[in-house]
Amino acid sequence: MRQLPWLTLLVFWPLAAALAMPLLRRSREACRRFALGAALAELALAGLVVLLFAAGRPDLPVVEDAAWIPALGIRYTLACDGLSLVFVVLTAFIGVCCMLTSRHDDASRPALYHALILASLATVQGVFLATDVFLFALFWEAQLIPVFFLIGVFGHGERMRVAIKFFLFSAVGGLLMFLAVIALGIHSADLPDGPTFALFDLTRLSLPVSTGRWLFAAFVLSFAIKIPLVPVHMWLPDAHTEAPTAGSLILAGLLLKTGGYALIRFALPLFPEAAVAFAPLLTILGLLGLFYASAVALAQEDVKRLIAYSSIGHMGLAVAAVVSGSRLALGGAVVMMVSHALTSGGLFAQAGMIGERLGSRRFDVLGGIWNKAPGFGAAFLFCILAAAALPGLSGFVGEAMMVFGLFRVDGLAGGFAVAGMAATLIYLLRLARDTLFGPARSGLPFPDLDARETALLVSLVLAILWLGLFPGPVLQLVASPLDAVAGHVWPVAGTGM
Amino acid sequence: MMENALALMLLFPLAGAVFQAGWGLSVGRRASGAAAALAVAGALAAALFALARCPVAPVHVSFGGWFAFDGFSAAFSLLYDRIAAVMTATVTGTALLIHLYSAGYMREDKSYSRYFCYLNLFVFFMLLIALADDLLLLFMGWEGVGFCSFALIGFWHEERKNVNAGVKAFITTRIGDLGYVAGLALVVASFGEASLSGLAAGAEVLSPGMAAAIGFCFLFAALGKSAQLPLSSWLPDAMAGPTPVSALIHAATMVTAGVYLLMRLDPLLAYAPSVGASAACIGAATALYGASCALGQRDVKRILAYSTISQVGYMFLAAGSADVTGALFHLQTHAFFKSLLFMCAGIMIQACGEEHDIFRMGAHLRRRYPGLFVLFTCGAAALAGIPFTSGYCSKGRTLADALTHPDPVFLAAFAMGALAALITAIYVFRMYFVAFFSEPADPARLHPDPALSRMQWPLWPLAGLAVLYGFVNPPEFLHLKDWLDHFLVGVAAPLPPHAAQAELFVESLDALLALAGLAIAWGLYRPARHPAPAPAGWLTAGLGLDGFYLKRLAAPYEKLAAFAWRGIDEDVLDGAAAGLASGVGGASLAVARFGGGRISASLLAIFAGAAVLLLWLAIGWN
Repeated sequence: MRQLPWLTLLVFWPLAAALAMPLLRRSREACRRFALGAALAELALAGLVVLLFAAGRPDLPVVEDAAWIPALGIRYTLACDGLSLVFVVLTAFIGVCCMLTSRHDDASRPALYHALILASLATVQGVFLATDVFLFALFWEAQLIPVFFLIGVFGHGERMRVAIKFFLFSAVGGLLMFLAVIALGIHSADLPDGPTFALFDLTRLSLPVSTGRWLFAAFVLSFAIKIPLVPVHMWLPDAHTEAPTAGSLILAGLLLKTGGYALIRFALPLFPEAAVAFAPLLTILGLLGLFYASAVALAQEDVKRLIAYSSIGHMGLAVAAVVSGSRLALGGAVVMMVSHALTSGGLFAQAGMIGERLGSRRFDVLGGIWNKAPGFGAAFLFCILAAAALPGLSGFVGEAMMVFGLFRVDGLAGGFAVAGMAATLIYLLRLARDTLFGPARSGLPFPDLDARETALLVSLVLAILWLGLFPGPVLQLVASPLDAVAGHVWPVAGTGM
Repeated sequence: MMENALALMLLFPLAGAVFQAGWGLSVGRRASGAAAALAVAGALAAALFALARCPVAPVHVSFGGWFAFDGFSAAFSLLYDRIAAVMTATVTGTALLIHLYSAGYMREDKSYSRYFCYLNLFVFFMLLIALADDLLLLFMGWEGVGFCSFALIGFWHEERKNVNAGVKAFITTRIGDLGYVAGLALVVASFGEASLSGLAAGAEVLSPGMAAAIGFCFLFAALGKSAQLPLSSWLPDAMAGPTPVSALIHAATMVTAGVYLLMRLDPLLAYAPSVGASAACIGAATALYGASCALGQRDVKRILAYSTISQVGYMFLAAGSADVTGALFHLQTHAFFKSLLFMCAGIMIQACGEEHDIFRMGAHLRRRYPGLFVLFTCGAAALAGIPFTSGYCSKGRTLADALTHPDPVFLAAFAMGALAALITAIYVFRMYFVAFFSEPADPARLHPDPALSRMQWPLWPLAGLAVLYGFVNPPEFLHLKDWLDHFLVGVAAPLPPHAAQAELFVESLDALLALAGLAIAWGLYRPARHPAPAPAGWLTAGLGLDGFYLKRLAAPYEKLAAFAWRGIDEDVLDGAAAGLASGVGGASLAVARFGGGRISASLLAIFAGAAVLLLWLAIGWN
């Protein structure tokens, strides 16, 4: 069983399913069923990988390696350690959620719609699994394409303008990173085995300090746009507002996480010197972003925009934790990213339901939803509480670890991270108040959750509870990969209390 | 054995909450209320069972790890000692009576299952606070009760005002909780884990500065939860919730969680005397503040809310004086008489057709509901500290603690506390005479309802406790057995002998103050004087504290948010991106003109390019 190319399957199965979608374009129902089946199969594959390699007799990392362009030292290398595995499972899970989330957005071209979602799953899995830096960069660029069309074709309002904005922002960053990758390859030509793009070998590369810093800046700019870090976050609120619900789920649940993941996986170990040098700047940007985005979120008039800014705030804190040099905070950042994918996934899915039912997501037509749809209200409130880091729910585990870790290294940063918890709660309660409570300001009916929506939200709620109460397995998985990264970047700081 | 009892104590209300959420509506109103009460009764039975078997040495129970990473760990662990035993019995007992009362109170509300779900959930989280050993697990209860409080204050959420009150409560207590998280972080940084037992064992190795820092962080959290100055402004607004909720959450249990936290942290505070002194002074100041503000209220629930703020201040005074037993004692008596008063207020309000103003109640209420009047009298007497009621014994003890403390700062606290005792008696009897004796010109019409007499049944035990519970721990000079002190021997430090001697003086003074307050209130508000409400003033507005926060903090933050969005995000950042884009667009248009296919332009471009190239070569070669 262990010999099959599981990782390749994980990446290319959704792509193959996407390519098969046009065959079904006559029937919308067939498209939905097939796409859901494909996503479930992907989740089953991910689960199987967990069973085979992580449970019982752990045998991580799993590596699949083949020569690709030998002259340039480019190889097709997929590797899955605990850190990758967590995100791979998350991707597959969010993929299933995407398939369940809407029955409105796919009306015009169901085959294309589902194919795009599947294709973006494939590219995101590629990002999480590739350890050849060149291959990674390819997946990194490729993940833009399906999402661009998802927003541009199936979005609302000014979808094309927004899609282009998203693409330009991401492509600018991606381009710089690509140049940096090529520069790395050129530098690696001095190595005894000739040029290589293998991540592990490249981390042994001794770069001149200034070169390392420039390349780090190029990598980080690309990741920061994706994460997104203030002040290069401008594309995100627009993209979320106009994207179809599944697009929002992919953006918040997966694309943002590729940024955080790549920061940990590539930017830190490739350029440890630069990472330490730039850490204060990134910490300041991250914490500034936390407060700035929290304030801006409070003023929003559209449910989705508010949630989008909340993503910026949460991810800002995660970035500050990643570069802090504390392993505890680093682990917390990973848990927070997973948790955020679940909570914001739930919130975006429900924001989409609001839009479908009322034709608008603006606060001035909302209110009083609880009385019309208590099931919907309870699920919405639950996700809000999880995002507000109530202990017992997923948000708290990551938040606590990050705060404690930050406090160990820097009391001031820790203090700001703590204060952020209040700023977060303020806009989240405003979100609850102006949607669920108060007088109903729209005369339209608001039917409660149907079976499909219930299935979607119940699975998210269970995942949030599970991660909040029993995060042990996830922490165990990520512990040794994060240790390796931290040990490489902060060789002496590991023991520090 | 003990393990199972503790697990059951927690599981009963949790299961009750799950049941209400899933099936509460479908089983009907009566069954829903019965199930909720049954869940709490189960918890009470478990609490009493455990109380009866509680050894002197604390019992540690662990239900496994929660999460652990890089030297940090948190666990689902409980610490059951005699303080927790008394606390859990008090919480579940009071909660059971309030649940029984609620079945009557919510007789017409269509959202009864949501109500009972939150109420059961609240009991679960409150018990978690009472039992938890791991401070992170305690924080789960801590935040959990905060959420339940938010949800129940805004229970009638069709009105924005109620929801806003809930939001204010949640945010204010969360601001306090920042102290909790910071304290946790400091403890974790020192020990790698954060548990009460670990803290008690390791407190001596902490540097004094660190112990004080941790203590102040947790004190700040306690101030928020217990509505003490300066984080007190949420509690009066919290009265927007159903009255039994005010009785349970905003009088008997949750607001005393802050005191309870300080009691549990007592081993740490022994190494941080400045924290205790601050707690005592803040408590005494709050007692004075709350009592004064209660004088300016007309809404019976707001009077009781300010009274709660004030009474919890006395508990802080005792806890700050390191008298855990005294704090716990006042916590208990207050739970009994204040929940009694709140539930009486609930009946008064429903009897008067949702009228909250005491100046529109009056003698006809007393005549129509004599039982209610007797109940209220018991509660009022205890709250005012009429000699030998429960409130008299417990409040006197807190004052004796302050008076005999070696640190002179506590003398100031004692003075404030004593003055507050006088004002307490005045506002209590002001409320009492106005609401039950006056003959208002425009009385509220009474709404007779048989349910109102049914709702009085659960109050009689509380009335008995309010009057008699003082004899569980009577002042020393009576030479009676002090059960509570005996029960807590070996767990909490005993009352020092000189404090016992001071008790005679303090209790006499306390009695004098209470009777003086009664006399003053009679002089000012007796029916013959036809008391009229004073116009709303500084006291009514809580000395403007709430207004200050709204005007100086909330409103500017909202303005800042709007500016950050419109001014910075849209104009500056997005504007810069758009400017860059249009700049690139403009440049590309300009360049495109040379490649547009017009021969003249192309030729011009070629020649110009060649010229520039030649020029560069010419200069470069030199």
